[in-house]
Amino acid sequence: MNSNTEMIIRAENITKRFGGMVAVNNVTFSLKKNEIAALIGANGAGKTTFFNILTGNYFPEEGKVYYKDLDITDYSPESRVDLGIMRTFQLASTFDNLKVIDNMRLAYYRANNKANLRNTFFSRIDRVVSEKIDACLETFGLTKMADRLTGNLSLGEKRILEIAMAIVTDPEVLLLDEPFAGLSDGEINECLDVLRQQVGKKTILIVEHKISKIEDLVEKVGVMVEGVMIAAGETKATLNSERVRQEYWKTAQDDCY
Amino acid sequence: MKRFFKSETGIIITFALLYLLKGILPTAFLTEVVIFSIYAMGCSFLIGRLGLTSFGQPAYLAFGAYGAGVYLYYFGHNSLVAIFVSVLFSLVLNMLVGSFMVRLNSSYFTLCNQAFCVVTFFLFQKALVKWTFGDNGLLLISRMDPTPIIDLTTTKGIYLFAFLMAVAVWFFYQYLMKKSVFGATCLCVKDNEMKLRFLGYKTFNIKWLAFVIANTTAGLAGALYTVYFCMVNANIANVNTASEAVAISMLGGAGTLFGPLVGSFLFIGLKDIASQFISHWEVLVGLLLIIVMLAGEKGIVGSLEGYLEKLKEKRTLAKPALTKEGGL
Repeated sequence: MNSNTEMIIRAENITKRFGGMVAVNNVTFSLKKNEIAALIGANGAGKTTFFNILTGNYFPEEGKVYYKDLDITDYSPESRVDLGIMRTFQLASTFDNLKVIDNMRLAYYRANNKANLRNTFFSRIDRVVSEKIDACLETFGLTKMADRLTGNLSLGEKRILEIAMAIVTDPEVLLLDEPFAGLSDGEINECLDVLRQQVGKKTILIVEHKISKIEDLVEKVGVMVEGVMIAAGETKATLNSERVRQEYWKTAQDDCY
Repeated sequence: MKRFFKSETGIIITFALLYLLKGILPTAFLTEVVIFSIYAMGCSFLIGRLGLTSFGQPAYLAFGAYGAGVYLYYFGHNSLVAIFVSVLFSLVLNMLVGSFMVRLNSSYFTLCNQAFCVVTFFLFQKALVKWTFGDNGLLLISRMDPTPIIDLTTTKGIYLFAFLMAVAVWFFYQYLMKKSVFGATCLCVKDNEMKLRFLGYKTFNIKWLAFVIANTTAGLAGALYTVYFCMVNANIANVNTASEAVAISMLGGAGTLFGPLVGSFLFIGLKDIASQFISHWEVLVGLLLIIVMLAGEKGIVGSLEGYLEKLKEKRTLAKPALTKEGGL
């Protein structure tokens, strides 16, 4: 198993229970370097739980999570960040009382410095300057709102900012939790454009319950139904496979297209 | 205008004005205002920047007060050394207490601090009565020698010293809140602690340091109180006074730089004036607090800053030339 160094993140036989309910049942899923994958399923299928196990919110009862060949099952979210695993949240998660640029600076600062108390105490935030931050703001079209308070941004802008905050840290793996929830079609397209720029540069996993929006973006897809990963593999083939047709399309036909 | 208030010159001018008030207002009143504003500063920082409301501030005030008191009573005669020792003493205690307290969230933090305050009061009043003399307290008037440079045994000397301390505290907090990365992370703890963790910051450490800084500031205020009153008794840790610091922080504007100063000024002023006419002068503070809170929950300075911000926005809208400004 360990010989497979191509896999950058690998979850094996993950099981997570809440009380008597099995939220995630023996799920195995892996991502290759610079692959873009999606995890789909109806609400309550366990995809967010599985996602949270990858990011360190939850610890699984059974199974292991590997980063390259390192067993990170018990790692805290903070130490996963050190390895280069960055996530975003379902509800756009930014710091509303800071300026847009300061949000970016905090993300950048952590990624490039040892953010212990002494360092953070003696560094001035306005001196956290980098071409990378500017470039990132430019790429994501945030330059003109850099000095605005994040709390005054729209949901779509915040979502883009959150993705920008993740990208500026230059992560190895980027995990996006329902990045399109609550966005208008225009905003979704903006987000998609932003993500397309990262194709081939980053390993990305997107959790969504609608595949239609990201079908042509992702290379690999995992389908979850009631805690079980019923299929995983190349996008077209997986979506057209017998089992997915029967179990996923049937349960979620209206949701998906 | 806003930038002016936020910069260093803002602090200097504000305090220079305050110092000039000495000619109009009694020194005793101003001394109390200055010391109380240092005390409120820590509380205001915790509420406004970290979202941690503590109803146990008198305990941390008492740490400093007794640090200085015990030093002067049992060990030395120099008030300056006493203040220095008591700041160190409360620093160490707060590091210890903080590592327990900041594990708690929101209302549990508030209430456990209050519980801790009750325990501290009991310690100083009953358990350690042999050394602290409980309600009678430590009388230090004969134990304090005149100090060189600034004589802390005179009313003018202690006012000047408290005043200089306040300026130092303000400069420190200005750096902390507006400039340092740490200050920004503090604000993020209040905003969205989860996200901060997933950016890789250790939020426990951030809260711990903020707690230590804020409550050591309260300790400094306590030491100044001891030296100013030439005595300290258990009443300083009385939990009944716990709401004062919180009320002042909210009145002035929690988390703002000048909020604690404005709050203390109003609070002590109301106390001194209104208590001559009605016995329950706290009623007035309560009413004032409700009115200020209903006007936008930002306190006096917070509302003022918001208003200035709007003015500035209007002006920049009229003239689209944007100035780039760093910092928070």
